Amino acid sequence: MELATFDLPIFLRGATREVFDTMLSMELNEQDTLSLADGSRIVGSVSLAGSVSGTVNIHVSDTFAAQITANMLGMEIDEIESDEEVHDVIGELSNMIGGDLKSRLCDAGFICELSIPSITSGRDFNIESKGWAVKESVCFQYQDHIALIEAFIKNGG
Amino acid sequence: MGLKILTVDDSKTIRMIVKKAFRPYDCQIVEGENGVEGLALASKEKPDLIILDITMPVMNGAEMLSKMKEEPDLKNIPVIMLTAEAGKDNVMKIVQMGVKDYMVKPFKGEQLIERVTKIMPLSEKKAEAPAEEESSKYFNLDGDIQLLAVPSKILRPTIVDVESQLKPKLKEMSSGGIKKMILDLSKITETNVSLIKLIITILDNCQLAGVKVLTVASASLGKELKEFQETGNIPIHFSIDDAKAAF
Repeated sequence: MELATFDLPIFLRGATREVFDTMLSMELNEQDTLSLADGSRIVGSVSLAGSVSGTVNIHVSDTFAAQITANMLGMEIDEIESDEEVHDVIGELSNMIGGDLKSRLCDAGFICELSIPSITSGRDFNIESKGWAVKESVCFQYQDHIALIEAFIKNGG
Repeated sequence: MGLKILTVDDSKTIRMIVKKAFRPYDCQIVEGENGVEGLALASKEKPDLIILDITMPVMNGAEMLSKMKEEPDLKNIPVIMLTAEAGKDNVMKIVQMGVKDYMVKPFKGEQLIERVTKIMPLSEKKAEAPAEEESSKYFNLDGDIQLLAVPSKILRPTIVDVESQLKPKLKEMSSGGIKKMILDLSKITETNVSLIKLIITILDNCQLAGVKVLTVASASLGKELKEFQETGNIPIHFSIDDAKAAF
């Protein structure tokens, strides 16, 4: 199978919807445009390495990250005790979405390993990723919040 | 006595989800953050079941499991593997490791409980009034003053625990004519949102019950409490004796 025929758009959307629905009871609506609100945001990332390499990023605003954390842990937003809790939850979401993608790739013959999640947070920053064979970006809306999910893959070294 | 369950996951989130899933059942949950901690806890605690993540730093779940299989004391402890990867090869690998079952993330707490009950029976916690010794964990009667001493670190479950014991205690105090309480925060080592919530919960409940509360705390905690809008106006005493004298 050629990597170019790997159905990344379908798998990425399916995994994201399933993770948000199962873990957070959040039904996502896909947005036509790719846009994130200005302000502080958190990016959860996992990487793939093997016969393919790649990365999966989840961008959410701080306020959406707090809502996600509260839903995941079954509590109110004001009960969140630290940024560590929020980062752990966003990292775990990227692990689940990345894990699903990794499984699809392995099932298609592209054997690879998944990294432990990492977190980037701040405001007014861009993450530019170049040189990938296949890439997909999708924005989902939940109430007033937006989540941008990106995946990039290419043949491994 | 209930089951002892060891959850080994580098994600606090997943450990919290596992703990929450077992909350209605008579279980004691022990937590480890990686395979090294998991192995040490398995040897020390001899759990009835291990819920084990695969991808972890320091030592992953597969390595921990293979080391367990080399230990006569540990090799028969049932293990449920958690994985974010549902790929065929990964699942085959997990099955060959000799685990009882596996769960693919994302999962709901109920799904985990369903898997566990296929391996061992879980009994629900009995909804009975707190035993005397449980209640005395926080409360101690000194003459006509009820002392309420809270632990050094307050977490969300502590609030629930104290509140569930406070309400019957206030009824008991009312029937015994006790109208004074000392809230002893002298053991507190960390100020967090849960501590503030706990203080407010206690003061609100006592006010409703017509019980006067005086608060005892260290000087440093007293200073920190002054900085919170919710606790800024609470008079602080620096010892139980001071508070008793103030009554």
